[in-house]
Amino acid sequence: MSQMAETRPRLALSRDVLQAFYRLLAAALLCAALALASDAFLTLGNILNVLRQTALLFLMASGLTLVILTAGLDLSVGANIGLSACLAASVIQATGSAGLGVATGIGCGALIGICNGALVAWLRIPSFIATYGMMWMLTGVTYYYMAGETIHGFPPSFRQFGSGYLLGVPIPVYVMVLFLGIGTLFAQRTIWGQQIYALGANPEATRLSGVPVERRLLLVYTFSGAMAGLASLIILARINSAQGDIGEELTLPAIAAVLIGGTSLFGGSGSVSGTLIGALILTLVLNGMNLLQINASWQPLATGLIILLAVGIDTITRRTAP
Amino acid sequence: MKTIVSLAALVVLAGQVLAGPALAANETIAVFTKNQTNPYFQAVRVGSETAAKSLGAKVIQYIPTKPDSIPEQLSQVEDVIVKKPDAILFIPVDYKALVPAVEKINAAGIPVTNITDRIAGGKLVAYVGADDYNIGLATARHLLKQMGGKGNVVILEGVKGSLTNTDRVRGFNDALKENSGVKLLASQPANYQRLNALQVMENLIQSFPQIDGVLAANDPMAVGALEALDGANRKALVVGINGSKEAVEMIKAGRLLASGDFNGFIQGCLGVEIAIRNLRKEQTPKEIILKPVVIEKSNFQAYEAPVEQRTCPKLSDMVTN
Amino acid sequence: MSQIRTAALPALARVPGVAIVLVALLVGFSLAGPRFLTPANIANILMQSTVLILLALPMTLIIMTEGLDLSMGAVLTLASIALAMTVVATGSPALGFLAGLAVGLGFGLANGALVALIGIPPFIATLGTLGIAQGLALAVTDGQSVVGIPPSIERVYSGTLFAVPIPIIIGAAAYALGHLLLYHTRFGAAVFALGGNREALRLAGASDRAMLIVVYAVGGLMAGFAALLMTARMNSAHPTAGIGLEFDAIAAVAVGGTSFERGNGWLFGTLLGVVAVGVLRNGLNLLAVPSSAQVACIGALVILALFIDALRSRP
Repeated sequence: MSQMAETRPRLALSRDVLQAFYRLLAAALLCAALALASDAFLTLGNILNVLRQTALLFLMASGLTLVILTAGLDLSVGANIGLSACLAASVIQATGSAGLGVATGIGCGALIGICNGALVAWLRIPSFIATYGMMWMLTGVTYYYMAGETIHGFPPSFRQFGSGYLLGVPIPVYVMVLFLGIGTLFAQRTIWGQQIYALGANPEATRLSGVPVERRLLLVYTFSGAMAGLASLIILARINSAQGDIGEELTLPAIAAVLIGGTSLFGGSGSVSGTLIGALILTLVLNGMNLLQINASWQPLATGLIILLAVGIDTITRRTAP
Repeated sequence: MKTIVSLAALVVLAGQVLAGPALAANETIAVFTKNQTNPYFQAVRVGSETAAKSLGAKVIQYIPTKPDSIPEQLSQVEDVIVKKPDAILFIPVDYKALVPAVEKINAAGIPVTNITDRIAGGKLVAYVGADDYNIGLATARHLLKQMGGKGNVVILEGVKGSLTNTDRVRGFNDALKENSGVKLLASQPANYQRLNALQVMENLIQSFPQIDGVLAANDPMAVGALEALDGANRKALVVGINGSKEAVEMIKAGRLLASGDFNGFIQGCLGVEIAIRNLRKEQTPKEIILKPVVIEKSNFQAYEAPVEQRTCPKLSDMVTN
Repeated sequence: MSQIRTAALPALARVPGVAIVLVALLVGFSLAGPRFLTPANIANILMQSTVLILLALPMTLIIMTEGLDLSMGAVLTLASIALAMTVVATGSPALGFLAGLAVGLGFGLANGALVALIGIPPFIATLGTLGIAQGLALAVTDGQSVVGIPPSIERVYSGTLFAVPIPIIIGAAAYALGHLLLYHTRFGAAVFALGGNREALRLAGASDRAMLIVVYAVGGLMAGFAALLMTARMNSAHPTAGIGLEFDAIAAVAVGGTSFERGNGWLFGTLLGVVAVGVLRNGLNLLAVPSSAQVACIGALVILALFIDALRSRP
């Protein structure tokens, strides 16, 4: 039984590679279509924009990928980003220190992650409800704290984090590549990573084989929370202000990015790199709609159709693949 | 003799209208706003509380837990009617869908004053508002004038379906029609959100090598557009609407061209004042439409003070306007 | 057969969580103010909860099949727009009602097909149809409310039958129907099996895919039905009116004790879950609790209910 738990992740790796190929193909087709439809698509400026926007979505969704790998869900991502951003903004404004602000943002995110983890792992509350409840509570705290105001104007050193460039490439892209590397290495190459896959595939067997399930769950939710905190800092740096509702619309796109990337809600299969492709696809859709100037009313429709198409193709090819 | 008598009568009459609180009757006014995060509604709430305090009354704030939720505001109205406040100050989440709520309030015999979004039905004590269409028109005209009547312009729209958005964008478009030398390159939605506007503007910057002006339907979107322009090392004249603190600071710093004043603070003040005076059987106007004011480099000083420190304008001053 | 009925027992043992919380709220709010426990206020709470009940009942079934329907709020909205536009165009409330049902059923079948026939995970499938429904609602109305609805529709919400408000009657009827369907029909047994034991279903000769499609279709149909109530309540239809309701429905189902795995389901728990949230909101409004605190309380309630359950299920 435990042998199966150990070989499973390696099988998942090769299957994931195949699926990643199909998904990459879908993204490439989307790129090709957009390049044909709009002259502005393949310009350097637009490509950098797409990469930067993808980086932001990816960072939000990367920690979430690990949570979903354990057959869990984190609905509090958006609310986490909101509170972390607002607290970090206050700290930066009060102290003028970008460093303290970064520590606050990531710290707040991680703390929220720990709470989620504790609720799920030790209090045994289903992750949907635990994170749904946390979402409401965090939103309440954020609303109370911000009291309908905004915080704006951060020091340029901090703003570089979100809008700066290094060697002509936006800084968030470097952060994205860094965490793509960290996430993939962790998931595929460490024992802990393999245990997380096993946990999602078969929690009971994993527990019986001696893995401290609760501690792994706590780790996973804390990491997801910290990543949300990190993402909130980049958003702050980009828009140079904080308002109570920053995170409101971000949760569903983050989850969608993970799922479009091929990670299964049932746990045990998926990858961080898949999430990157999912984030890319979603970003391409928005970019395309702006470039092609699709009317406001039709945008949710286009997004919904493309999500279905991308995942539909993926599902069908998964079934016919060897 | 007759003149003196009539003058005296006029003074007495004026005295009644202009008098301060006759009695500190401690009335309770229930104030309904759309959400907890838009600084505009915070300004309305602060205005309502400032006016109530100065008149010896009390306000209770009701805000949906889900921002801009129609069913929730309907439920809140039903719940509040049970509590029987003395009067209600109402901003409907949607000016058509909340008509049954106002009718319920009428049926319960509670007087209701409406501000900001003009409700499409029901009996009102009064309506106080700024005209979204005219603010959009005035702000856009200011931008076009500063552009010298020619160039390329993009519009950043707000939430599709919201009355403020529909009217403001209509104002923008009508101003554009008046200027044949100006070309509208694109009109894209950013849902009144800052990050959204930033990303949309980034994408538009890629599509169009030359953008001279940006018409944003609210301040957060205007600021988002500015950040996008800065990031791409491009320059354009940007205007927003709301007259928020942040916008005023950016106007002062020379980054934002102008912002249409949508003075929530004043609307909150006047709305509550009318509600209270109506309860005290004083004469009150049926409608006050605030003139559109475009805040820009020459007049921003008046708007620098935060809302908490401002005092309410007197109702009498506004009526003689 | 008995194997399936005993699946309901563990759910029953979890009653206390949501029931305890509900009773505590009722007692607490009654003590806190005189206006809470009046017939008019209780009627308000029930009426305000009806639309959510109509969504949460079929959501219970869907969740029991290890699925999810995120499109319910958007479908509800689109159905209400279809209803309103049809009534305004034809003058016939009956045609409008049918139009709403048709929209709901259509999306329900689409969801079912995507999940059961193509095999797309329910979260993504219904996320996709959410976007489509939402987009259609915005496009068709150009973001504006639909008004000019004849008073016969409004009376569905404000009218009474034997002194009981019609929405409450509709809610009770829907619950009774749901109970009958789930616990006393072969379809209901299939729903239990779809979550816990699909093999058994196939071995018994039933088409598990067809049953799954029916489950989602019922969800869509109920959304179409609920559209009548929502439109009547607002006396108009608005393209963003129903947004987010599906999450509230899902939370109510989970709070009520239905779990996301192994096909356990408890319909009455869902009802209690919906009412508990309605009571909480109403009570907090009556006490004029500031809105940010209300937001936090809702989260606390939801976690508390399941926390109590978790404590009870520990040996």
